Amino acid sequence: MSAMSAGAPRSLASSGQKSIQDILHPLSAEESALNPGSADLILPNGTPVDTSSPASSSSLLNRLQLDDDLDGETRDLFVTVDDPKKHVSTMETYITYRVCTKVRGLSKICYFRPCDPLPEKFVMKGVVDRFSEEFVETRRKALDKFLKRVADHPVLSFNEHFNAFLSAKDLNKRQGLALLTKMGESVKYVTGGYKLRARPVEFAAMGDYLDLFTQKLGTIDRIAQRIIKEQSEFLMELREYGPVYSSWSSFEEDLHDPLEGVSGCVSNCSSALEELTEDMSEDFLPVLREYVLYIESMKNVLKKRDQVQAEYETKLEAVVFREDKKTPVPTDVEKCQDRVECFNADLKADWDRWENNKRQDFRQLLTGMADKNIQYYEKCLAAWESLIPVLQDKQEAEGETS
Amino acid sequence: MTLLHTKLKTTPKIEAGDFTHIVEYLLKMMEISVAEAEKRTGKNAVNMQETYTVYLIETRPVDAASEGTNPVPDSLWRRYSEFELLRNYLLVTYPFSVVPPLPEKRAEFVWHKLSADNMDPDFVERRRVGLENFLLRVASHPDLSSDKIFYSFLTEENGWKETVFETGFQAKADSRLKALNATFRVKNPDKRFAEMKHYGDELQSVISQLLRVRARAADRLYGVYKVHGNYGRVFSEWSAIEKEMGDGLQSAGHHMDAYAASVDDILEEEEHYADQLKEYLFYADALRAVCRKHELTQYELEMAAQDLTSKKQQREELATGTIRTFSLKGMTSKLFGQETPEQREAKLKMLETQIEEGEELVKERNAECEEFVKSAWVDIERFKEQKDHDLREALISYAIMQISMCKKGIQVWNNAKECFSKM
Repeated sequence: MSAMSAGAPRSLASSGQKSIQDILHPLSAEESALNPGSADLILPNGTPVDTSSPASSSSLLNRLQLDDDLDGETRDLFVTVDDPKKHVSTMETYITYRVCTKVRGLSKICYFRPCDPLPEKFVMKGVVDRFSEEFVETRRKALDKFLKRVADHPVLSFNEHFNAFLSAKDLNKRQGLALLTKMGESVKYVTGGYKLRARPVEFAAMGDYLDLFTQKLGTIDRIAQRIIKEQSEFLMELREYGPVYSSWSSFEEDLHDPLEGVSGCVSNCSSALEELTEDMSEDFLPVLREYVLYIESMKNVLKKRDQVQAEYETKLEAVVFREDKKTPVPTDVEKCQDRVECFNADLKADWDRWENNKRQDFRQLLTGMADKNIQYYEKCLAAWESLIPVLQDKQEAEGETS
Repeated sequence: MTLLHTKLKTTPKIEAGDFTHIVEYLLKMMEISVAEAEKRTGKNAVNMQETYTVYLIETRPVDAASEGTNPVPDSLWRRYSEFELLRNYLLVTYPFSVVPPLPEKRAEFVWHKLSADNMDPDFVERRRVGLENFLLRVASHPDLSSDKIFYSFLTEENGWKETVFETGFQAKADSRLKALNATFRVKNPDKRFAEMKHYGDELQSVISQLLRVRARAADRLYGVYKVHGNYGRVFSEWSAIEKEMGDGLQSAGHHMDAYAASVDDILEEEEHYADQLKEYLFYADALRAVCRKHELTQYELEMAAQDLTSKKQQREELATGTIRTFSLKGMTSKLFGQETPEQREAKLKMLETQIEEGEELVKERNAECEEFVKSAWVDIERFKEQKDHDLREALISYAIMQISMCKKGIQVWNNAKECFSKM
């Protein structure tokens, strides 16, 4: 990344569009995974991979690293990308990279020519110099990292597409892209938040509930905002309304005190309304919105569970696949199965706790809302009730004379 | 009541004053109400089909009710235009009275939900109430209540219009109206009337403003309440995906619906308050009209006095031969020689007559003016007391309305709170 960011790249213009890094680095996945907060898994063709949350990929990768250490599996596959070369012919100009693969001592070299799969919208014709040094180097690094990562991956390294890629002599650009794309898909499958075909019913129900719940909270948020808006506009009118009674009282004799009283009353009600609106803005809405984030984290846990299950299932598949090659690793699969069952049990317990908390939290939130409204009306009631004697003041006196 | 009835029938030329020794205020003798409103269609003056509303006026003698017999009331139907005719007649005939106003012809100061359509049933209903109020006001007015045209308005369906026109009030109306519309400067208006006129201006302005802002506030309040209805729906939907929380949410939702619905009644009641204010908005106009009429009589007096003074001056000049004031006559006589003694004599004589007439006129107008000031001020004082009383009552009922609204709000939210606590 730093290669590009240090100083302005010679051939890049800043036009507010995505930076080259984001587009061309399939390995921005790795970068961003290690820096949670960015979520830019990008396929070679430039489209972002859907990761529902960065946390999932980082945790997965972390777990994978943990796996590496635990299993003590020695790496037997090394991949390097180097030696970028520019080829110029009358028809076209292009870059190739040398891909060196070492599998259990055996080396192999092939040359890879990437096409320039910049998505239409990012093509800045004539501005992006695909042949600039920095660009080429960056691409090399990206490919290198990507391939290394895949090679290290206990699951992906066995991916058929990857193997095909490595064993092919020279890949033309279409094939290369196809393979990379397929590999990218596998990466997505493992590191992304894919829904499993076979999510168990109870967890599926949780997922559905969370989705609907989020919807409802969203609606409540919108309603609350709308109420605040309407109340604010009502408040504006009240602030104009009250003073009119004051100016009326200024040219009345008998009615002076009653009118002044009404003005004061309206003013008190205005203040009470302002307090209510502020409370809703500052207490109710933020808590509601925090809850949406809690729901998100719960959803992530569900996804994590899915990944754990996915990993187990994939490994199970791979084991079956491997059986043909007579290199079984059954302990790995068993460990995965344990992991899945633990996770599910923990999740169920977590869920119950979460439900309980949710119930309490919302009971509190909504009763709080009701309380605030009650307080508002009580303040107004007190104001108007105290006005009645002022209004009736002369009534008794007048009653005697008439 | 039968006594009055026969009196009317046998002596059609009774003057208004004759009734006063029989009945002080008509209202003490009879119950008056505008009981119903109905739509009619018919041909109008230009022979075109039109739809209009008629109002049923019912009258019943007070003593009959107290006897316990409760007879069927007399009734007749009247259109709004007939009410207008009655009022115009009263305005002209009793210029020193603050004549009660009619309810507005077209809906004004409406907030969005209320229809501005004259045929709208709510508008018609509020107008019915306003017309009844008008009749009761007139019937309790010391001067207006004993008017025979008013009485026949209440009791004689047919031929009433003709009777009104026969009084010839329209001729007076035209000349008076012209004068009222003309701008004239009064040198010495009665200070109290000038102040009253100013008060009428201010009252009109402030009530207009109040009604305008109130209508806008009503609109906003409507929005606040109605949006809460959305809570009802979403709580209901939400309760469907909950287990233990479901019941509490569902019932809370119902209370939110009730809260949203309650605003309709609240605003309808407030409309009644607005109508009370409107009456005094229009009363302000009636008050100003009386003050303007005072100015008119004062102006006419001043004109007559001014005319008399100038005529007296002319006489003096003619008599003494001195020309103090510039006049064309004076100039021409200077230039072309004076007139003959005979001519002068004739002129003097004419002037003398004119001065006599002028003095009579001034006397008349002065008396008129004084009479007007006296009667008008009595009615203005009466009006002031009525206004203070009525507006105070209106404010009290407004406060009571607000109290009721607050109590309802507390109740609804307490109910909702209970539901939430059971979640």
